[in-house]
Amino acid sequence: MNAQPLLEVQGLGKRFASRAGRDSSLWVIRDLSFSVADGEFLTIVGPSGSGKTTLLNMIAQIDVASGGEVHFQSESAPINDPKALNPGLSCRIGYVTQEDNLLPWRTTLQNVLFPLVVQGRLNDETRARAEMLIRTVGLAGFENHYPHELSGGMRKRASLIRTLVYDPPVILMDEPFGALDAQTRTVLQEDLLKLWNLGRKTIIFVTHDIGEAIALGDRTLVLTRAPARVAGEHKIDLPRPRNIHGLLTDPKFGELYQRIREQVQ
Amino acid sequence: MASQGEISATTDQNGGRIGALIRSRSDQVLVLIALFAIWQACSFWLGTYWVGSPWGTVTRLISGVLDGELLSHASFTLAEAVIGFLLGGIPAVILPFLLRRLPIVTAILDPFMVGGYGAPKLALAPLFILWFGIGIESKIALVAITVFFIVYFSALSGIRALDTKLVQMAQVVGADEKDVARHIVFPGAVPYIFTGFRIAMPYAIGGAVVAELISANRGLGYLIQLSAMNFDTTGVFVGLVATGIIVFITNMAVNISERRLLRWRPPADARNQVGT
Repeated sequence: MNAQPLLEVQGLGKRFASRAGRDSSLWVIRDLSFSVADGEFLTIVGPSGSGKTTLLNMIAQIDVASGGEVHFQSESAPINDPKALNPGLSCRIGYVTQEDNLLPWRTTLQNVLFPLVVQGRLNDETRARAEMLIRTVGLAGFENHYPHELSGGMRKRASLIRTLVYDPPVILMDEPFGALDAQTRTVLQEDLLKLWNLGRKTIIFVTHDIGEAIALGDRTLVLTRAPARVAGEHKIDLPRPRNIHGLLTDPKFGELYQRIREQVQ
Repeated sequence: MASQGEISATTDQNGGRIGALIRSRSDQVLVLIALFAIWQACSFWLGTYWVGSPWGTVTRLISGVLDGELLSHASFTLAEAVIGFLLGGIPAVILPFLLRRLPIVTAILDPFMVGGYGAPKLALAPLFILWFGIGIESKIALVAITVFFIVYFSALSGIRALDTKLVQMAQVVGADEKDVARHIVFPGAVPYIFTGFRIAMPYAIGGAVVAELISANRGLGYLIQLSAMNFDTTGVFVGLVATGIIVFITNMAVNISERRLLRWRPPADARNQVGT
């Protein structure tokens, strides 16, 4: 791992304004620190309500931190100043949100091309890349379908490649496969690993599924209940490329699962 | 059809929709016949002096179309309605977009807009005739102001229904303020704007006719007024039926363009529009 982390979070805190009638405001995240190396696949697990989405929102700069520091490539994120936010840090941080957030009035292809259109980077080369990605995740034949005509898994795939298409160096993922059935989820996890092997991007992947965190990550962080802090850190030294089905019977997997489960309350 | 397999769901749905369409169309014809029957009965019992006969109305309607007189009155009314609709409707769509980034201005304007929305526009007709004369201008002004407030509030609610998560997604992938307005805010507001259009269109035609009733020398409202003064009840009915037909046709035009523009919407919404 490189000495200089790509992304560094130090003493990060987030507090939501108190509602009338309550004296103290609620800290969702407090004193949270970790760092991510270039090319690393970091997974973060934590109980629901532990501020995982809030954490990613702050890293992507669509939400402002209340305290602490976030450094990306030695640039600091604004603290307590929503106006200074730069969502996506000029297209360097991609974000696959929990909901697919596809534009309902755009077809699959138009949705995938959307980042290229607004970035003014739509040309033959990038269009070919979009079409390649569509084929890779099995959406060929559905390019001209509107989101309501796709299944949940297809919408997830479309939202995933919408982020991959413009090739941001860092990708945040917020339980992207949470709402899917187990079968589809495994297929998509394998797709994701395949795509990651092609590009080796830096990924921060948030989930509440311990098995998923182990199967995908190089390293797993465990968060506590709100206010969230790092409860533990686990290096996942399972060899790559990984076979998701095969992992479940690996004794090392079971051991890691057990250790992480004890920390997740 | 619900018991069928999922694979045939799409074709099944289409078949069901066409079936429902035919059924609702034939039901509409039945209602039309019933209305004619009631109308005929009324004119029989009360006499054609009070209620013009359907047959007399239809023949007068046809002869009026053939000799061009009715058509010229109708097209005059339609022109007032369409020009007024555009003059009132276009600013009503643009204004909420301009005010989107100025919530304070929107809030300041709000009570005045609500007042304008609630004020009886017909009461303005004499004022507009005073200002703009008895020609086409005063009718256009009345139509425009009626349409403006209806469409303004529809467009405003469309902008307020904006999904902020879509905006955040767009910003993360590099969209600037202009992209957000063009690719997220506007397409999201289009269904609401069309709802406004659909409500406003009959008001536009009604407004034009009423303004003509008060003072005009052309148009369907003038025709109705003239017939009433001559105790020509059938003539009044001809004017009313012609107005109804225009409302029907313009409503169809709005629906067709809406369906064309909103192809991306799930069929559940589309099905609600069948049989309008």
